[in-house]
Amino acid sequence: MPVSGIVSRPTYEALAIDPAGRRHLFVADHAFEPDPGVFAALPSEAPVELWRALAEARVGSGAGPRANALARDFRSTTQLLDALAYRLERERVGLRLYAVGLESFVWDVARLARGLGMDSSEYRLSHVGSNRRRVYCVHCRAITENVATNVVACSGCGANLFVRDHFSRRLAAFMGFQIDAEAPGEVPPIEEAFP
Amino acid sequence: MNQRFKPAETFRRDFTFRNSDEAVLRFPFPFPEDSYMYSVNIEPHTPGGPTAAFQAAFDVDEHYVAECAERAIVLEEDPGRCKVLPHMMAAQWDTLELIMESFARDYPQDFSLTKEGTNWVWENRPLGIKQSFVFGDAKTLPCEPFEYITRQAQGDFTLQDQREDNLFVDGGMVTTQADWSLEFNIGMTFHEWHGPVPLAHQLGVFDRALKFLMRLQYGQPVRRLNWTMTINPRLDTSPENYPLWGTDRTTVTPENVAEKVFLRVELQTLFRLPRSNAILFGIRCYLLSVADIARVEKWGKRLHRVLLDLPTELQDYKGLTRYRQTVVDYLAPLDDGAPLPSGIAPGQTAL
Ligand code: HEM
Repeated sequence: MPVSGIVSRPTYEALAIDPAGRRHLFVADHAFEPDPGVFAALPSEAPVELWRALAEARVGSGAGPRANALARDFRSTTQLLDALAYRLERERVGLRLYAVGLESFVWDVARLARGLGMDSSEYRLSHVGSNRRRVYCVHCRAITENVATNVVACSGCGANLFVRDHFSRRLAAFMGFQIDAEAPGEVPPIEEAFP
Repeated sequence: MNQRFKPAETFRRDFTFRNSDEAVLRFPFPFPEDSYMYSVNIEPHTPGGPTAAFQAAFDVDEHYVAECAERAIVLEEDPGRCKVLPHMMAAQWDTLELIMESFARDYPQDFSLTKEGTNWVWENRPLGIKQSFVFGDAKTLPCEPFEYITRQAQGDFTLQDQREDNLFVDGGMVTTQADWSLEFNIGMTFHEWHGPVPLAHQLGVFDRALKFLMRLQYGQPVRRLNWTMTINPRLDTSPENYPLWGTDRTTVTPENVAEKVFLRVELQTLFRLPRSNAILFGIRCYLLSVADIARVEKWGKRLHRVLLDLPTELQDYKGLTRYRQTVVDYLAPLDDGAPLPSGIAPGQTAL
């Protein structure tokens, strides 16, 4: 039975620069245009990079300047996360990482950063864009992406998953469980819940 | 085979699990008063207590052999029910040592442990196991030490790492759970994994419980009771398998309620571990049918009163909504409304 008022969901703060950083890397899952005020807060000797995944095949002409940063565009978040892993393996202390985008994306970045030895004071997460959810099926472990509705068919086992407000940072996903497990076929009206 | 165990019992399909009279009377009944609400109900885990279930560090009862076999079935289908994050190796050995030493001390007729330096020999007679190994060398055991020893114990176990002023659930053996997923929760903090529980956050229960646990001392374990209800004596009421057991909740009728509905009690124990400074959390599950509860006069009346005005948030969270009224109706004629002594002891020595 769904119960509301659940507290494991993270809260996010507005994007702010950590002045203690010696280098700053922003990664975004969309054509993010930083507020110039954000970068203006930086000491001029701290280099800034901006990586963006544009969901578009025709990108990839190397790094270039954009809004006082060195910018690189990627075709997909998968490609960006690959490059990020390669980069973080070679980083030294002093880097600050900022992830901007959907909840699933920013927690993918956090997981990667943690796995490569960064601690939570070295990365900041900023959730922008839609509230669509990544849903983990607790029955078959398949992931269903970009879920906007209260109930969704699991991409793995097909169960009618109710999307619970219970979030795992490790999986970067919300829990889904079969809503009609007790009374097969009794599914509540499907509504947009996470616009 | 030792007479005190009932190796052929099942917790699935034909559900041949039954409690003997002795098992009924030693049940850790969870309601000291006529009404129930969440609280920080933590007390020292010292031998003794209101029923025989509280005698040992880790209680071994007549269902021991059958429960170990049930655990093996679950793990064969889903090895991910046992998972420990890599930084918890010291806590794995701490757990193995604590359970082996406790079993050998509390049940010398069934278990023994001999040590010569780091060369240890473990004997588990009910399961027919004799294992020589080197303490601290995982290659000398058939699997990792936490899995090895918790396959030979009743109830679930989790390992909590203490860091950043918090507890992280960084490992567990979870095959007999009341509807929560280790795979989903592993790595979470105390408040995160308790996220779905209604009302208790607002009451400050989790803030106070966490503060208390952060100061838990080695050698001074604590315990608490938690409860829910389960249809059929099914140990594996995991969210993973909810599609298989969810429909059970619609099968309760006035005719079958006494045999089909079980009070499910978790005797939860918390131990500070010596080398790792982690906390071992034992979740020992007991099942007793409504029919057997009604054989103990005090318990039958008390369960009736607790269920009668259980807050709806708790009814929903525990999944009782579909059948609570049927249980209440069954117990009502047995309750004369006379005042009951507080406490959980059965108040009788025979059935
Ligand atoms: C440190 C080890 C502990 C672990 C690993 C643990 C784990 C859990 C889990 C997984 C749940 C189910 C949450 C869900 O619905 O997904 C739960 C429920 C709960 N826990 Fe804990 N817990 C621990 C200690 C405690 C302590 C010390 C208290 C003391 C107040 C406590 C109080 C509760 C309560 C009141 C519930 C709701 C139970 C129900 O209504 O059935 N827990 N716990």
